[in-house]
Amino acid sequence: MTSEVLIRASGLHKVYKTGQVETPALNGVDLEVPRGEFGGMAGPSGSGKSTLLHLLGALDKPTAGEVFLEGTAVSGQSEAALSSLRLHKVGFVFQAYNLIPVLTVLENTAFVLELQGVPPRKRENQALEILEELGVAQYKDQFPNRLSGGEQQRVAVARAVASGPSIVLADEPTANLDTKTSLDLIDLMRRLNQDHHTTFLFATHDTRLLDRVDRVVYMEDGKITRDDRRS
Amino acid sequence: MKAAFRHLVRSRRRSILAAMAVVVPVWLLVLMLAMIGGMEQGLFASLTEYETGHLQVRAVGEGLAGGALPLILDPTPLLAAVEAGEAIAWYTLRLEAPALAASADRSLGVLVQGVRPEEAARISPLPGAVYEGRYLEADDDGVIVGEALLRSLGLSVGERVTLMGAHPRGGSGVTRATVVGAYRAPDPALERTLVQVDLGLAQRLVRTPGAITAVAGYVGDVDGPGDDWRISAAVAALQEALPPGYEALTWREVAPESAVLLRFMRPLVIGFMAAFFVLGGLVVLNTLSLSVLERTRELGIIRAVGAPRSWVMGHVLWEAGLLSLCGATVGAALGTGLVLGVQAAGGLPLPGAYQEGLAAFGVEPVLSLRITPLEVALSAMAMVAVGLVAAWYPARRAARLDPVETMRYDE
Repeated sequence: MTSEVLIRASGLHKVYKTGQVETPALNGVDLEVPRGEFGGMAGPSGSGKSTLLHLLGALDKPTAGEVFLEGTAVSGQSEAALSSLRLHKVGFVFQAYNLIPVLTVLENTAFVLELQGVPPRKRENQALEILEELGVAQYKDQFPNRLSGGEQQRVAVARAVASGPSIVLADEPTANLDTKTSLDLIDLMRRLNQDHHTTFLFATHDTRLLDRVDRVVYMEDGKITRDDRRS
Repeated sequence: MKAAFRHLVRSRRRSILAAMAVVVPVWLLVLMLAMIGGMEQGLFASLTEYETGHLQVRAVGEGLAGGALPLILDPTPLLAAVEAGEAIAWYTLRLEAPALAASADRSLGVLVQGVRPEEAARISPLPGAVYEGRYLEADDDGVIVGEALLRSLGLSVGERVTLMGAHPRGGSGVTRATVVGAYRAPDPALERTLVQVDLGLAQRLVRTPGAITAVAGYVGDVDGPGDDWRISAAVAALQEALPPGYEALTWREVAPESAVLLRFMRPLVIGFMAAFFVLGGLVVLNTLSLSVLERTRELGIIRAVGAPRSWVMGHVLWEAGLLSLCGATVGAALGTGLVLGVQAAGGLPLPGAYQEGLAAFGVEPVLSLRITPLEVALSAMAMVAVGLVAAWYPARRAARLDPVETMRYDE
């Protein structure tokens, strides 16, 4: 596994403002994520895991500090540039699957490729390939509401990795799944990590997932309290 | 586009209701335009075929007493110009002059209209409006009068009327002519004042043989007011060719009061219909606002995975466009279907009073509907444009959703 830094966060602060009320979510976070890592962030609710994930994925901008994604500083980017950065470099998996209900499994998987401008035939082939790899190709023409939670989350993972992003950021990906389904999904993501060297970073409470990652960053009150590397 | 279509299908009931709000204005506009088209056509036909011609050539002159037109003593040079005009399919001559019509004990001011009876069926409604007696024949010494005038003078068909004609630039003549026929017209004033005679008799009344007051011309390939440009072009060309002292006028210039009606009828109705279009647009706005609100999280996810704002905006506008297009197409189809149905049935029968009046003027006693494919297409396109404008606000709001905020939306 290479030690090239994929994402570097330096002195990150994030304060949410609601009217006159300021709520600090991150209080000076420094983090480096090497390419190819299969890592997790753990911590109680409100510890800042999701906020950090959003900042690392260029979904949000820090109040102070900087995120470098493959060397590109995120905070100075325009809205359009951030969209493009997310489109080409980041894959997202969410707790609630968040597939587009009116698109079929194949269309959902190919959606990001479509946004990237990949020609129809090519993106369908590419999407089908990853669906096969994740074991849900048989549902390609189904709409998401016909699938179980585990199947939907596999499709969500397929969508996240279909375009070959630099990193997949997953926010509580197993929270809604039973143990067997969770373990199957984790194994699948692990395989993608190993076979395709896709970097994964999870924000999770799930010990079933945390037990299987290379590194766990523990957070509390918007700070990293422990960085536990296992490999 | 596929996703936009499926979103509309997913919210089928709401989409159908919204589409209905789009169907109705387009359907109504197509119908209203068709009715106006029919009325314009009827008015144009009755005006140009029976009164003004498509164009007229007159002598230039100041207003004369009694509203008389200047006399053209020798029409030969201007007839040469008219005959040379390629666009003019045919023409006829007229002489109109103020006169006094008298019976044994009463007299009334009238307008004597001298025509060529053999051509009158093409230029005057009166041959078809005669209800008693007969119409004029070539070189006829008789007269045709309206029922109201006949009553006012206390005369009957077959009796004689004294006509004292005069023209400020001609002379005064008197003749006793037999009333060979009586006509009915929807306009009582016309019935009381218009007396039609042979052109020769009218010339004798103003003591100016060979004189006329106007040449009424008809342009080829003119089917309705939509072909006005052909008439204008013919008038412009004719004006160039006319000798000095004559002017070529379009039917709009000859009958400005009727032309004004034609000019304002359509804009008025379109202005009225605009209110329905705005209502349709508001329904589209409401539908898409609800749709965007319902899908806040979904649109946020789409933004999160990298869709640019323009994509989200385009997606919502596609929905609006599809919704409006479907509604507008159905509205246009229903409207056109009804118009075609009415046309196939020969028009909508009008109430009795209108029937008699229109029939008297040689106009079909039905409300004709007439619309062009271009008008149907423009009606539908206008609704689609209104729908897109209405969708602008929800589309912009969707495009500006903050992905992070929206992901918290239903948590």
